[in-house]
Amino acid sequence: MIDSKHTPDPNDEVLIEHFRQHASGEPPASLDAFILATARREAPTPTPSLWKRWLQACQRPRWQMAFATVAGVALMIGLVLRSPVPHEELASPASMEFSADRQEPAVAAAPPPAMPAPAPITRMAPQGELARAPASPVQALADKPMAKMSKPAAVAPPSLEQGLQEILRLRQAGESKAADEKLLALHKRFPKEDLPARLEALQKR
Amino acid sequence: MTGKEFAPHMPAALDSSSDESLLARYRNGDGASFEVLYARHRQGLYRFLVSLSNKAELAEEIFQDTWLSLIRSATQPQGRASFRTWLFQIARNRLIDHWRRHGVHTPLHDSYDEQLHVQPDDTSSPEQQLSLSRDQARLDAALQALPEDQREVFLLRLHGDLELPQIAALTGAPLETVKSRLRYAQQKLHRLLAEEVPA
Repeated sequence: MIDSKHTPDPNDEVLIEHFRQHASGEPPASLDAFILATARREAPTPTPSLWKRWLQACQRPRWQMAFATVAGVALMIGLVLRSPVPHEELASPASMEFSADRQEPAVAAAPPPAMPAPAPITRMAPQGELARAPASPVQALADKPMAKMSKPAAVAPPSLEQGLQEILRLRQAGESKAADEKLLALHKRFPKEDLPARLEALQKR
Repeated sequence: MTGKEFAPHMPAALDSSSDESLLARYRNGDGASFEVLYARHRQGLYRFLVSLSNKAELAEEIFQDTWLSLIRSATQPQGRASFRTWLFQIARNRLIDHWRRHGVHTPLHDSYDEQLHVQPDDTSSPEQQLSLSRDQARLDAALQALPEDQREVFLLRLHGDLELPQIAALTGAPLETVKSRLRYAQQKLHRLLAEEVPA
């Protein structure tokens, strides 16, 4: 577009310069003010960066709700799909021994304390041994309540049929008093049952 | 208010930026860039319009219209066109539209036989060129005495500081035609403004 070969005539440039020196005329100050004010007022709003737009979106309530919903759904899906850890793995002595084996070198590497106290020794005892057999009285005491709790759960009350058979067995053994007590106990448990008739029928069988 | 007095608060970095980059910055929301752009071109564009239309009120209307269309438009100079060429083209088109709306004959679009307007130029010597009239009224009268298309080319060169190829692109006239128009305009101006120099 620009013709580089075009070289203006020096005489022509003198004429142009003469006119420039004597040219006058300015736009009115009010026109300047109006145009500049319009330019300032109608200046395009700066486009924020991607990071700023993201922050602005996060500050809007509806987007906050959307993000919270997505996060909640993701959390729920994570919880539902989470694979359960088998109890055998947790309770197996192998895993205990593994952790104990891992701890042993650390205990061995640690410099012996100048005045060894009994408490740290108890704390640093290998967990594998604790799992296999109670090594300390504290552990033995801790195991007892567990045994007590598991005992009632293991022994279920005898059924009516079993109770009647036990009564017949006691009577045949001549322990009529014990048989009567058992019958009374059964009557309390099954008040609507005709226990003598059932005993008789059982005896006939 | 003169051109030198009109100096908006502009940072030094903006002052050295090109017109095109200033316009791009304004389009991206930098209001200060427009003030620099306006300060650079307000005077040349205004004087071009006053001289071309020969009416101050009409020149002000077209001047305002040109800048407001630039503010409200999202376009940029296309191709290799400079901002200056683009700005003066907008102003020229607005003026022609105004003349058309008001039923005024558009002199810039006349087919014009350059040779018919050529008169002998007796003032080609440097001594006579240096003795051009400094009378403002005489300068203005000489400009108005030029044929419209010659005046337009001369004013674009004078106030727009445009090169001849830029003027050719702006007016849609062949480069050789633009060159001849400018040459004839300058010859006539020399003749009209030459003062009697005592021998």
